[in-house]
Amino acid sequence: MKLEKVVVIGAGTMGSGIAQWFAQTGCIVTLVDSSETQLQKALAGIHDSWDKLTSRGKLTGLEALKQRLSISTLDGVDPGPDLVVEAIIEDLDIKKTLFLRLTELFSSDAILASNTSSFPIAQMAEALPSPRRGRFLGLHFFNPATVMKLVEVIKGPETDEGLCHDLYRWFDERDKKPALCKDSPGFIVNRVARNFYGEPLRIVGEEADENQLREVDAVLREVGGFRMGPFELMDLIGIDINYSVTCSVWEAYGKEPRFAPHPLQRKLVEEKRYGRKSKRGFYTYD
Amino acid sequence: MTNVSFDEFLLNFGFGTKDEKREVLRANPEKLIAMDLSCYDPQEFYAEFPNLVGSFAALFCDEAKKIEVHFRVRHEAIVRKMTELGFNPLEVSIVSCGFIFPRTIAQIINEAHFALEEGVAGREDINRAMRFGVNYPKGPFEWSAGRELFVRTLLGELLTKTQDKRYVASRLL
Repeated sequence: MKLEKVVVIGAGTMGSGIAQWFAQTGCIVTLVDSSETQLQKALAGIHDSWDKLTSRGKLTGLEALKQRLSISTLDGVDPGPDLVVEAIIEDLDIKKTLFLRLTELFSSDAILASNTSSFPIAQMAEALPSPRRGRFLGLHFFNPATVMKLVEVIKGPETDEGLCHDLYRWFDERDKKPALCKDSPGFIVNRVARNFYGEPLRIVGEEADENQLREVDAVLREVGGFRMGPFELMDLIGIDINYSVTCSVWEAYGKEPRFAPHPLQRKLVEEKRYGRKSKRGFYTYD
Repeated sequence: MTNVSFDEFLLNFGFGTKDEKREVLRANPEKLIAMDLSCYDPQEFYAEFPNLVGSFAALFCDEAKKIEVHFRVRHEAIVRKMTELGFNPLEVSIVSCGFIFPRTIAQIINEAHFALEEGVAGREDINRAMRFGVNYPKGPFEWSAGRELFVRTLLGELLTKTQDKRYVASRLL
């Protein structure tokens, strides 16, 4: 499979990370956004990261690397990329409108992919003309994209199966660990990981005190070997974000009890105790 | 199951049915016992057997041999013996059916089996996704290998105790 030219749309945290990773693997990358300010900010951030890696001796060929990454608005972008990865805001209508536009801008050979974590690939595919759906799929990266190895390769209902396997192999031959999965709510990780939060919440209950939270975190770190316990991790992610993902998966599975949010999550969100970012969550931060 | 007897104590390791666990406690009334109750609710056994002084969860114990231990009555000799046997006990105050680690992992394993059952992804892809997407130390199927019966038993206990359908086990377990 030839993936030489890649366009990444959306210069936020995920889009920047994805663009940086593709450039580091040797691809010619264009990072696209509607905001020139955001593009400049993202480019400066990536360059800064590469400068630091170079000064620490972890990266070589800095100048060539910088030349492989450019920024552009959608109107000015090269129409012949091999792969286009969308990493914009999680809004289904906006994504559908964008993908329809992408089919007009880019050649029919281009693979179109969404980095969505929450919307079915099938729903986005509906926006595409039928002949383009075979080369449309989900490529779900994890943050930070340059560090986290996983890419979920998500086959939509009309995605060419061979294309999914080719992409799987392409990532596997590089610095990624791909996982092939069906188009279903939460894909693999956001579904299977729900109980890492939901079960500890049920162990401590609604009236949990801080000692209990610390004990559960310690057990899952020290006995389980996890890098962080569930409560400290929810505080880091943002309890509001974690709660929102939980609700979204729960709704998508028809309120299946295995995914039900816990009342304590809702209570903390209502009290604006979001975790580290609000200085209070399960724990209190100075 | 394996029993390790020393002084006035007895340590009972391994999986057994509730009846088999009860039988060990009944057969050794003169001993102060600490028992692996990974799949059950220790409170239920404490209420029935005064000679049960502690319980632990070794179900998913790996090469690091770290285990959760709960004492109703703490005995340093038990901790010492566990350490001599190569275990690394972490004492906990929370008494929960399935303790903390086995209960949490059992639910992660169950969800992975549901995903497999529904054809979301294969075993290797699910393992890989959890290890490299969220840095789990092992994939769900690596944890469950050879322990499916125990996971099913624990989920069954939780379902009976809570009547919450979230503990219904996947058919693949």
